[in-house]
Amino acid sequence: MYDLQRLLWDVRKDPELAERFRTEPDTVLDDYGIEGEERTAMRALDFKTLYERGANPYLLYFCALQIGVDRADYYARLRGESA
Amino acid sequence: MTPERRGRIVGVFTASHSPGITGFPERAEPGQRAAVERAFAEVRRRVEELAPQAVIAVSVEHFTNFFLGNLPAFAIGTAGSYLAPVTPEMGEFLDVEQHDHPGDAQLGDHLYRFALDAEFDPALVSGGLAFDENFCVPLKHIDPAARLPVVPVIVNGVNPPWPTAKRCYDFGRMIRAAVEAQSQAQRVVVLGTGGLSHWVGMPESGTVNEEFDRDFLDRMASGDRSRLTDYTQDQIDAAGNGAHEIRTWIVAAGAAGVPFETLVYEPVPAWLTGTAVAAARI
Repeated sequence: MYDLQRLLWDVRKDPELAERFRTEPDTVLDDYGIEGEERTAMRALDFKTLYERGANPYLLYFCALQIGVDRADYYARLRGESA
Repeated sequence: MTPERRGRIVGVFTASHSPGITGFPERAEPGQRAAVERAFAEVRRRVEELAPQAVIAVSVEHFTNFFLGNLPAFAIGTAGSYLAPVTPEMGEFLDVEQHDHPGDAQLGDHLYRFALDAEFDPALVSGGLAFDENFCVPLKHIDPAARLPVVPVIVNGVNPPWPTAKRCYDFGRMIRAAVEAQSQAQRVVVLGTGGLSHWVGMPESGTVNEEFDRDFLDRMASGDRSRLTDYTQDQIDAAGNGAHEIRTWIVAAGAAGVPFETLVYEPVPAWLTGTAVAAARI
């Protein structure tokens, strides 16, 4: 979970990384060594799963905004109301 | 040092710092917005009257500077200036033009040394600390020209486990003792910012726990240390992850050592926050 949270934090602080995650998420996930369920969830922007696995909600929310997920969409995904 | 030469805490104020207060005030009901802005204007008037030489500003920070690789429970800033807020984009979001806010490096250094001697172990932040809504939102109203030199004190209120309420209160008492143990800053104001109930990035976001908030304000009004520190993590969780920011109010209460008057309380779902401003009866 530390590696994932590190990614969430770095994305928040680095617009270029956010853009790279939007266009080539797999290379970013490789760089951060994120595998398994966390990788699947992050790739699908499945914030509900990441939240339930213990990601800090501030980090999750700030990262979502930075990669272009709007507030309403973030909360819909967090609540499992979005595909 | 003669008693009349000692520094004094001349005022202690506490306030919410929801980005909505400055960034999107129009989303609140007009009456609520006006009430909150009146309370901030009252604090500004009182602070101008008190003419402090420095403000010890106690808040959390929202992963703007610190991360889980090194997350202090308490930190003290000793820099001469602070970037406020951290990016131009955040400036637009908060409607606060990015600027350098002056820091009181000498008082910050004194507070850090005093804390260690008093057997507290805060992190030292001697440069590079940027503000987010923590200080930018209340200071826009209280110190719009960004003139008052600040000593930032950061309390972890964003990631569990948290410092206890008792430790926060006692940290505040230590701040008062520190101010009184120096003579460079004769008149010091303490500002605590955060809370009250709110949920950030969580499914409950947008709700307010008015019962928790009113009970907390009642405890602040009592000035009773045992009531102010009688919180478990679960009890605060009932008012959201953002409610853990009440630690900043508890630090301020420790620094004041007297009851507070609530200048405003409004539950504002549009700002995602139980919004309050209070002042110590000094």
